[in-house]
Amino acid sequence: MGFNFHYLISILPDLFVAALINVRLAIIIITLAVVLGTMLTVLRSLKLRLVNAAIAVVISFVRGTPLLIQIFIAYYVLPVVGLDLSPEVAGVAAISFNTMIFVSESMRGGLASIDPGPLEAATALGLRPPLIWWKVVLPQLLRRLVPVLINEATIVVKGTALLSVITVVDVLRTAQQIASSSYRPFETLLGAAVVFLVLNLSISLAGKIAEVRFEATRT
Amino acid sequence: MRFDVSILVDYWSLLAGGAWLTLCITLVAFALGYLAGVAVALVAILPGWLPKLVTGIYIETLRNIPFIIILFVVYYGLPFSGIRLPATLVGTVALALFASAYYAEIVRGALQALPRGQFESARVVGMSPAQAMWYVVAPQVLRTLVPPSTNMTLTMMKESAVLSSITVPELTYQSLIVQGNTFAPFEVFAAVTAIYWLIAIAIAELSRQLERRVGTAQVHSILANPIAARYLSLDARRPT
Amino acid sequence: MTPPPILRVSALRKEYRGTRALNELYLDIAEGEIVALMGPSGCGKSTLLRCLTWLEQPDDGFIEVAGRPFGRVLTPGGMVRRLSRREIDALRPKIGLVFQQFNLWPHMTALENVVRPQVVVLGRSRAEATRRAEELLGLLGLADRAGRYPHALSGGQKQRVAIARALAMDPALMLFDEPTSALDPELSGEVLSVLKSLAATGMTMLVVTHEVGFAVNVADRIAFMDAGAIVEEGPARAVVSNPRTPRLRNFLELVLDKSLVSAGNTLAHSQTE
Repeated sequence: MGFNFHYLISILPDLFVAALINVRLAIIIITLAVVLGTMLTVLRSLKLRLVNAAIAVVISFVRGTPLLIQIFIAYYVLPVVGLDLSPEVAGVAAISFNTMIFVSESMRGGLASIDPGPLEAATALGLRPPLIWWKVVLPQLLRRLVPVLINEATIVVKGTALLSVITVVDVLRTAQQIASSSYRPFETLLGAAVVFLVLNLSISLAGKIAEVRFEATRT
Repeated sequence: MRFDVSILVDYWSLLAGGAWLTLCITLVAFALGYLAGVAVALVAILPGWLPKLVTGIYIETLRNIPFIIILFVVYYGLPFSGIRLPATLVGTVALALFASAYYAEIVRGALQALPRGQFESARVVGMSPAQAMWYVVAPQVLRTLVPPSTNMTLTMMKESAVLSSITVPELTYQSLIVQGNTFAPFEVFAAVTAIYWLIAIAIAELSRQLERRVGTAQVHSILANPIAARYLSLDARRPT
Repeated sequence: MTPPPILRVSALRKEYRGTRALNELYLDIAEGEIVALMGPSGCGKSTLLRCLTWLEQPDDGFIEVAGRPFGRVLTPGGMVRRLSRREIDALRPKIGLVFQQFNLWPHMTALENVVRPQVVVLGRSRAEATRRAEELLGLLGLADRAGRYPHALSGGQKQRVAIARALAMDPALMLFDEPTSALDPELSGEVLSVLKSLAATGMTMLVVTHEVGFAVNVADRIAFMDAGAIVEEGPARAVVSNPRTPRLRNFLELVLDKSLVSAGNTLAHSQTE
């Protein structure tokens, strides 16, 4: 059975529709990760010894273990402790947790490049820390973080493909379902690959355009 | 909450075997992937638009597609060409292929960061391009390569978990087997998480040793300003 | 029978995106001669040096070093053949180049910078190469610095290591790219004395410089370059005090206030010696 290019083209529309699930999940994950990651960063800046030590251990584990294992933990272990989540929710939770850590660590790097001058001025004027965070630090931080976040977005999109392993019906699982009925696994999987290629290249392209826009307004 | 250690004791050999295979796969994929990555990087810095286009397509394709799909495409694509190979071998090759794109970018970046004058001064005394690379370029570039390469190798090690989906009996696959037999996911995944964590720490330590030998590229900066330190540093330690 | 010039450049042409960087350039340098190459920025001095070491490939023209063709050769049948990379690399040690930025190799000591090329390119034994290297570094006043790494050397010391590295290869010709510009102005005198003592050994040298005073002091002959060709050349002092072409006159006028004053001083100083 040779390679059938026309078949590949014919299933692409179905695959792109299935990809919307990956996109939707990715958006939820990134939003959660940015919000939670920012909160985590502020928490870490309080420099509470025990809290930061505990966070460091968690970070070490999250960065040192496969995302797939973290997804399995959310899917298999959480029910044992009473949290019975649907595959989608479990998967989103696992990837969000993973990405949240990444966001906080990236912020840590970004913080080092912020000019302390305005901070001193704000403190001297008597502004309280929460306001300084909200008005001075975070705006600069998020601006610096945009290119990093764009790159992370592509990683998150790739991560959503793993959710097919815990029965979420995304592009990959859809492709596998098509493959099992058509007996053409190579073409269907190649189709899934093409879909992700298009998705991620689009994100990177949008990111580059956004970066140009951001540069124009940078202080 | 109960933690039944006996489960781990009963099945430790399965998990140990899986861990060992993970290590082996990581090592082989690293060697193959880095070799391929260096080759691609050397092609990418050749003059002209064609090398950049070809290597650009190679790198962008492998970087934008999830590894699990690369793996499946290779695994289901090979039988098409009539080649039938064991899953572990296919998985390792797929992992090496995936990693090679990232290694290529790392090596290319490091090579381009080196001032051109270094290569030129070696050529001017009469060294061949190969001699210039070996004696002058590589030793300088090596120290900048270690941190990002370590990062990628760690990432690759973690991606090896995905090989479980084509029945390669590495650590994740074994964990699913044991979990399926014992219905004790907490104990199993706690153990497996710890094992992966230890492997990651081992790799990081190896890298630190390597950095000591070839020299670090980092310069540590200190935040002496207390207000800056309050907002811009997340470390509790006070800088000296 | 006059011996062939150490360097013979004929009709050298190099174009970059439509502009002629080198425009039918001719230059001969006899054995033992020191020629200073001067010209306004953009005239093609650096391009010429880079073509003379084949770091850039000239589009046309011929280069002969000590009578041997370099880069391209005119075959008996009248065809122009580009020499192979190996043939070009074989002749490269004969053309010593001291870069403006020196380009020492930071992961090797000063001594090793001079030893390694000899071993790797010329096939000398490490003992022989070390002996030659120590001799050269000693002559250049760096005997006690040989074991240091480039980052621990001053600019002038780095330059001398770069010179030693080129000399160790037994070149027929030494090229210098703006030897004074990477160093503090007060050190120009030191550079001058190094180049003068090198000249005293009979070494043929081509020094690219924008400092007129330095050129007058170091060179036998000055070649003035403009828009990719040598416009005027002649004995150093004569060319500078009596420029014939208007382009050289303009150039000297622009540079006159600074360096010719000091050149005049050093000229007067050297004449009383």
